[in-house]
Amino acid sequence: MIQETQIRINGEKHSFRPGETILDVAGRAGVEIPTLCHDPRLKPAGACRTCLVEVEGQRKLLPACATPATTDMAVVSESERVDRHRKTLLALYATDHPSNREASERGAPDELLDMIENYRAPTDWGAMASVRANRHDDRNPYIHFEPDTCILCARCTRYCDEVEAVSAITLAGRGSETTISTVDGLSLLDTSCEMCGGCIDVCPTGAMGEKMPLTRGDKPERELEKVRSTCNFCGVGCQVDLNVDREADDGAGRIVKVTSPPTGTTTNDGNLCVKGRFAYDFVHHPDRLKVPLVRGADGEFYETSWEDALQKAAAGLQGVSERHGKNGLGFVSSSRCTVEENYLVQKLSRAVFGTNNVHQCAAT
Amino acid sequence: MSDDKRAAIPHGLQEAGGLTDGIARQLSRESGVPEADIYGVGSFFHLLARPSAKIRVCTGLSCVMSGANEVLEAAKKAGLPCEATSCLAGCDLPPAVLRDRRVLPSVSIADVERTGGDWEQLDSSAIAPGEEWRGFVGPERTNPDELALDLLGPDDKSGKSFQRAVELGANGVIEAIESSGLQGRGGAGFPAHIKWRGVQGQSETKRYVVLNADEGEPGTFKDREVMLRRPYLMLEGLAIAAHAIGASEVYLYLRGEFEVPWGIVERAIADVTERGIYGDLQFHMHAGQGAYICGEETALLEALEGKRGMPRLKPPFPVEVGLWGKPTLIHNVETIACVPSIVARGGDWFRELGRAEAGTKLYCISGHVKQPGTYELPLGITLDELLEVAGGVIGKLKAFSPGGASSGFLPASKRDLPLDFKSLGSVGSMLGSSGVVVLNDTVDMKWAALEQLRFFEAESCGQCAPCRIGTRYLREATEDNLDHGAAGGTTARGLAHVADVAWQMNEGSICGLGQAAPLPLTSALQYFPEDFQS
Ligand SMILES: Cc1cc2nc3c(=O)[nH]c(=O)nc-3n(C[C@H](O)[C@H](O)[C@H](O)COP(=O)(O)O)c2cc1C
Ligand code: SF4
Ligand code: SF4
Ligand code: SF4
Ligand code: FES
Repeated sequence: MIQETQIRINGEKHSFRPGETILDVAGRAGVEIPTLCHDPRLKPAGACRTCLVEVEGQRKLLPACATPATTDMAVVSESERVDRHRKTLLALYATDHPSNREASERGAPDELLDMIENYRAPTDWGAMASVRANRHDDRNPYIHFEPDTCILCARCTRYCDEVEAVSAITLAGRGSETTISTVDGLSLLDTSCEMCGGCIDVCPTGAMGEKMPLTRGDKPERELEKVRSTCNFCGVGCQVDLNVDREADDGAGRIVKVTSPPTGTTTNDGNLCVKGRFAYDFVHHPDRLKVPLVRGADGEFYETSWEDALQKAAAGLQGVSERHGKNGLGFVSSSRCTVEENYLVQKLSRAVFGTNNVHQCAAT
Repeated sequence: MSDDKRAAIPHGLQEAGGLTDGIARQLSRESGVPEADIYGVGSFFHLLARPSAKIRVCTGLSCVMSGANEVLEAAKKAGLPCEATSCLAGCDLPPAVLRDRRVLPSVSIADVERTGGDWEQLDSSAIAPGEEWRGFVGPERTNPDELALDLLGPDDKSGKSFQRAVELGANGVIEAIESSGLQGRGGAGFPAHIKWRGVQGQSETKRYVVLNADEGEPGTFKDREVMLRRPYLMLEGLAIAAHAIGASEVYLYLRGEFEVPWGIVERAIADVTERGIYGDLQFHMHAGQGAYICGEETALLEALEGKRGMPRLKPPFPVEVGLWGKPTLIHNVETIACVPSIVARGGDWFRELGRAEAGTKLYCISGHVKQPGTYELPLGITLDELLEVAGGVIGKLKAFSPGGASSGFLPASKRDLPLDFKSLGSVGSMLGSSGVVVLNDTVDMKWAALEQLRFFEAESCGQCAPCRIGTRYLREATEDNLDHGAAGGTTARGLAHVADVAWQMNEGSICGLGQAAPLPLTSALQYFPEDFQS
């Protein structure tokens, strides 16, 4: 029976699957409901209160992100009451948040400022100085935390717990002084943190942000171009977005940071590990090998063609095999190889050179 | 890591002397609970977060009106490791001061000076050395048959009412509760039988009863008196509830400042357990660690589970998803203590004790009143009737808070309104915990509102934005008004946006704290505009 799985949003009927929230249905139906603490990877917290909607028969506004759709539920997401709710809530947020983009958007875009603009919330209710404490001198190279811009949505702490299963960070303190902290306010390096950077990825305001671009004084993310690529640190093949400043380095261009594509769009679902997210510096390193080199008779390296380089390598391997026997050779493949590449290495080892001396550096 | 290990974290931190550097890591190694989680918990509860403070002076409204700020100043001057704290449930004997975990009543400046700077020496000269103090209870005990709690009567240890409950059977007991019209006395006034039936009807068979003895609503101290005077009555109520809903374990959550009631309840539990009068029912006691918000039932459950006391989203309600996800019946101390006499004497008897609403009620009264204390009276008496038994107002009545800070203020003209859930609700206030605070005409209502706003700001859990930001905003805005815009560090904004902020807090906050927090200010503005600068 169709009507058993339908709800109405602003008068229009939409079907839903069991377990879906109002927000899920609205999302599929193209009905815009603002969210700040929501992330599809996390259990709903219902804490930011931006997504509250009217539900027929309910006295209170309900969080769309945390309220399951039920049969014949009637939801109103656009009304005078919801509009007043959004405006007054965002106006309150604004009193406790840097108002200019330059101050707040040092790194990543600030979704709260966008929302304040989009919903035309008043910004003249005065300003309160931030009372949220920071960790002192966290010497970790990758992650910075800017408590002034933090809105305590707890996406970072929930991600660290629910997705990364690490729980290196926590909500700390209470009331208006609530902040994000590590145990005893230690540097992330001295905690169980794995530097996955997921906390940065989920942060809607940029309060949790990447340190390196800030240290280098790079352009903020909003001014960068995103180039989709594949992380080549391992065989998983996570999709990454290289955030490129085309004008940097006299027009040669520069990767300023790596971000993960939005959750739900690629196989890695918005997640990356420390390598994929932070180890992009090698791209611009002066020592990086960009062309094949072979050693000349004088012991120095000389640029050559791939064909020549491969010939030389093959000859060298064959020479060892002839002089020392088949088992004089051994092959070790890189942890960056895919399964298929590893297969080819053992094929090369066994079928071409006739030895079982083959290993993969990530095997133990 | 087991649920038990996590649940033991707050106590572990207490045993370790609070949250000091390195403790969270050590407890994490022992328990397997992530160290950041332990730090998050320790930093949430103020008795754990600032372990160096040994003396905490109550700065609740009633205590401040009795010189608490002066006592605090004197304590600082005497070199005591001290700080201000929220209501200590000692408003009837002000100013109340917490020494470590023990509340001392009526502490004077002389008491503080006598310590010579040694906090352990602090004592109240209002109580004889070695004596355990209690508050005043009234009215005089003329007809015990008209009292459901009878705080001045003997505490029956026999378990007779429990026996009666066993005879009646679960449904018989719940029917009696229903016909009694018993409403929750913790603040919301929700009909008790609906919760009992709700738990009883769950398919999950593991169920819990939880006692809410976190009593933190400013102006409220009745649960303290029940525990001090009738611990057996309370335990019997819990046993009946457990029997009726099919629970074999009861959790008692006492606020951490209730060291004296704790000892009394602990001894009573040991006694009933030894005598086996409630079969193999298990009682577990859990000490709060300093957080008003843990009186909110779902925050209390989180705290019982060893987490930061942040309220859960409702629905689902605890009757369905409660402690460790199991169906749970949570009641206030006073509500539970009404149960044995309802079972023994019948629902109709109880209902007829009240006026428009059922039963007798423990009214707390403090502030500018001659005999502050706890009074058991028919539910629905007026302020005037309450004042009459409490010796009258000191000075001229200006305003009163009918049910704790969360009920805001009412003007003297509302003195003949029945103090019950419905009548007070109809004027935008509430009976709440029935902690009545009386203010005479020496009080500036802007100042009084500010004191309450400070309380809510200090006690907000900080989880949701309307309350976390709104409580601070309103406090700063009121200070701006007080100081003509001279409040330090903030932009003067005055009271122009108070209505919008209050509306937002009421609509947008997750729990009752944020929803009620603007009320002291909005009601003061409504009834006493002349006390504010325009
Ligand atoms: C902010 C807040 C604080 C509360 N504090 C208490 C309290 O200290 N004691 C209490 O019994 N109920 C308190 N409550 C009410 C509880 O949430 C809950 O309704 C009550 O324990 C249910 O028991 P009852 O039905 O017996 O009243 C509080 C509620 C809120 C929103
Ligand atoms: S980088 Fe990863 S592991 Fe470290 S705090 Fe952030 S989410 Fe947790
Ligand atoms: S740092 Fe970012 S993700 Fe974490 S609570 Fe603050 S705003 Fe939310
Ligand atoms: S209303 Fe206040 S106390 Fe309640 S959940 Fe929100 S922040 Fe916490
Ligand atoms: S997205 Fe629903 S409350 Fe934050």
